[in-house]
Parts: sequence; structure tokens; C-alpha cells
Amino acid sequence: MHRSLRQLRPLVPKAPVRLSPFSSVVRHNHQHAPSTSASSSATGPSPNLSSGEPQGTRTTHFGFKTVPEEQKEDLVRNVFESVASSYDVMNDAMSLGVHRLWKDEFVARLHPGARGAKRCIDVAGGTGDIALRILDYAREKHADRETSVDVVDINGEMLKEGFKRFKKTMYHNTPQIAFKQANAQAMPEEEFPSNTYDLYTIAFGIRNCTSVPDVLKEAYRVLKPGGTFACLEFSRVNNPLFGTLYDQYSFSVIPLLGTILAGDRESYQYLVESIRKFPPQPEFAKMIVDAGFTTGGMHEGKGGTWTDLWGGIASIHTGVKL
Amino acid sequence: MAAISLRTELLRLAVPLVKTHGFTREALAQSALRLPEPHKEPLSEAAVTSIFGSGDDARRTLIQAWMEAAVLNMKSKSTPPSLLELLESRLKWNEPVLGHLPEAFALLATPKFSSLLPLDPSVAVRHNIHIANEACNLVGSHDIGVRRHLPLESRADVSCITGQLAWHRKRAAAAIAYAAAELVQLAQPESPDVPYKVLKQQLDRSQKALQSVEEVGLFGQYVARSWAGIGKSMGL
Repeated sequence: MHRSLRQLRPLVPKAPVRLSPFSSVVRHNHQHAPSTSASSSATGPSPNLSSGEPQGTRTTHFGFKTVPEEQKEDLVRNVFESVASSYDVMNDAMSLGVHRLWKDEFVARLHPGARGAKRCIDVAGGTGDIALRILDYAREKHADRETSVDVVDINGEMLKEGFKRFKKTMYHNTPQIAFKQANAQAMPEEEFPSNTYDLYTIAFGIRNCTSVPDVLKEAYRVLKPGGTFACLEFSRVNNPLFGTLYDQYSFSVIPLLGTILAGDRESYQYLVESIRKFPPQPEFAKMIVDAGFTTGGMHEGKGGTWTDLWGGIASIHTGVKL
Repeated sequence: MAAISLRTELLRLAVPLVKTHGFTREALAQSALRLPEPHKEPLSEAAVTSIFGSGDDARRTLIQAWMEAAVLNMKSKSTPPSLLELLESRLKWNEPVLGHLPEAFALLATPKFSSLLPLDPSVAVRHNIHIANEACNLVGSHDIGVRRHLPLESRADVSCITGQLAWHRKRAAAAIAYAAAELVQLAQPESPDVPYKVLKQQLDRSQKALQSVEEVGLFGQYVARSWAGIGKSMGL
């Protein structure tokens, strides 16, 4: 279905929503729940087809599998559509609740609201975890009720979950939260103008993107001068013994939990594999610098570009657009 | 501008702001307003954390940058200065930020990890030795007396060891003199001339003490050679 739509792309004039070849953007603010629009959701640019090259000439990884680049987005979308409704439960089960500590630490480092209201964008933030923490932190620590977060995700199902979560909070029906469906690699400029945001966050999402440099490029574009890019992502464990234990846990327990709790082993197998394919900390830090960001020193820890959490199971990378 | 040089540039721009803002994250945030293409707003807390470190780590980064700027200032003297002039210029560098220095030194001396000691005393020692070493290097006191081209047994001769000791003695004397003067400067900010007098006195005394030690050493060499000659003549 998706492939036939793309093949028709050169013949079909640009329409505002469904048949647009580029990322469609549906703004879901607090009044309207995001509609499930898998068929019209961001398909992203397909370099092979649009340039007339034969399919399959450019490949990428999907976990440990190699797939054509243009298929990865659909495959990832399918994974997250499958896991959306049990995403938070699974995160708690897989990490024994530790992911909450990581996200708390991630947001606390960013001090949202410390110097007045900030415009934030949380990409791949469908279920609203980070967005809610940003708004709560700004409110509780700095009595800030003007900071706003735009939650962006390629996946409508994940955005629906986020919208449902926010309906239970005080931010529902306020201008502080908005939900937008878009592709992190190619956010439309009319909806996401350049030099707009003070803070760009992406948590446990960047490894699922087809092209990490494109995501970083877009992040740089939408941030204001002085704006901060922050990424929380699974990373490489540096201690060999701990790494072995972690690998055993990841590849044995997590897919099993996926089967028991979510009835979907394959999706959780992908999630575990995708962690191993993501670049290690120094390499990702270099990509951030190459995208134009100014960072701390090329090392871990105090004054460094990244901070490892729990020995490197997760890592926070930051950079500033100057 | 490369990412790392931008960070260095921001630190350089933050140093003059210490006078008005102290060694604070605010000074680092305000540095963005002084870039060649200035920002409209100071850097956010997230940006300061990202570039310089979280909490007091960013402040320590600024303090280190300020101290390095002080050393660069010492090196920038165009006419060959004396040791006294160099140390006086270093004291002068403290004057605009005298009120902020006690807190800065306390921050540096606070151990970063939990420890039995509430303060790390080595920080003060390293600070004074670093200044003394830089000043001695600038006045040309490089020779440490080690003749590396000679065999090991020759290097162990008395003059060689004496040269090495002299290197350390000069630096120790300069460090002690500077430490005393800086302490007076911090303790008596209302008397700006007193630290310079203390510095001069301490350097004069240490110079005399060094001379005395060298003379004693020379006499000791003379006595040792005499005994060696006596021993040889007795067939020992």
C-alpha cells in the first residue's frame, strides 16, 4: 500500500493531507485527539524512488537485519504501533522502573523554566513522558506556567497515548502542550520554522531514525541561537563484565517480557537489537559536533559532551547552537 | 568557528565579567552577549550545563579559565621583568575580583567526591607553586642542573644535585613569598599596598636565605673534597 502510493508520487499533485508525498503534519492540540493516520503519516523522502534509481540500492539496519532505507520507516512505525498501548508498562517491566530515574535526571539537567518561559520541542516523544516532566519541572521548581512543549512523533498511535496521558493532567486545554505528527528527519518548515525553539529533546527515539545526521540537521535548524539539543538514548556499556550481564538480560529477558506482557516478541527483539546498532558515545558526540553544535569536551562526565547513566546503559548527549 | 574554539572563546569573554558577576554561571551565560555576533539573550541554564558542566563544575571551569588568563597576562609583559615584578603583576590581577576570590578558592578546595577531609589543602599548594613556576620560567630560571648527556654516575656528582636543588629552592621560595602576600591581600582588602610590601620582604629574605644555603653548600663541598684528598693520600 505504501509502496504503491509512493510510486504514484510523481503523477499525483501535492494535496494538503493524505496524498502528500512529503511528511504530513497534523496538529493535535489539547482539543482534538490525534487521529490514527498510518497511511498518511510521515513517509519521509525516498531518495531511491524520487531520483529514479532502482529500489534497494541504499540499505540500513533494522535491528540486526539489513533492509532498504525506504522500508525502515514503515517497519519502525509498525513496531511502535504494535507496542504503543503497552509502551509504558513495558518500559517499567524491562528497566525495572529505572527509565523513570533516567528521564528525571535528563530533564533535571536541562533546568526548564530557570530563566523564564521556554519553547520546547520533544521529538519522538509520543507518549508524553518527557514533555510532562519538562512542564512539571518548570512549574514546581520555578513557578513557570508559560513554558510550552510541542510533542512531535511520526507515529499517530504513540501520539494518541500521549494525548490520553495529558488529558489527566492540568496541562490539558492549555497552550502549554501541543501534539504534532511529523518526521524528525524532515520537519516541514511552515509548521516548524527555523530558529524557533529554546530546547530540543529526543529520548529513546533517535536510534529508530533512518538517518541520524538528518535528525541532527533538523534539530539545529529549528533551535534558536543559544538553544540546547539534548538526547537521552541507550548506549554502550563500557565495563566488560557488566556489559556481558546486560547483553544476557537484554537478549533473553526483554523479548520474553514482550511475549508475555505485550504478545509481541518480534517488536521487542527489534528494540533490543537497535540499541546495539546505535553508534557508541564518542561517535555520536562527533556527529553532534559535525551538525554544528557547540559541546563540552570530547569526554564523558563533568564538562563533557555526554554523561553515562548506569555505566553506559543509557547516555545523555547535549549540544548548544551558538 | 569550530565547536571547541567557541567554548574557549566564551570562557575568554566570561573572564572580564567576573568583576561584576563573580565566578558564577551567570557570568558564563552573559558571555554569549559579547560574541562577535552577539546573542539576544544570555545562554540558558541548559546551555551553560551542556558547554561547561552542571552546578558548580561550570563555576570551577570559569575559575580555572580566570587563572589561566592571569598566567597569560604575566607572559604578556614586553620588557624582561624581574621575579618581583611578575609576582606583583599577578597580585594586581587579583584586585578587581578580590571580593569573589575567597569563595572561588573555597570552591576549588571543596573535594569533588565525599572524603574524610572537608577541604583539599593541596589545591592551595598547587596554586602557589604553579604561579611560582610560571614566574621563574619567565625570568629565565630553567636550568635544573641535570646533564643528561653524561653517564648516570657522573650525574650524581654534587654540583649536579646542587643545581637540581637550586631549581626547587627558587620555586619554593617564590611560592612561599607569593602565598604570604596573597593571604594578606585577601585578609586585608582595605590595605592595598601591604601585600606588595610583604611580597618584597619575603622575596628579599628568601634570597638571603638562598645565598646562605648556597654558601654553606659551597663550604661543604670544599670540606668534602679536602677529606677526599686526605683519604687518597692515606691510601684509602
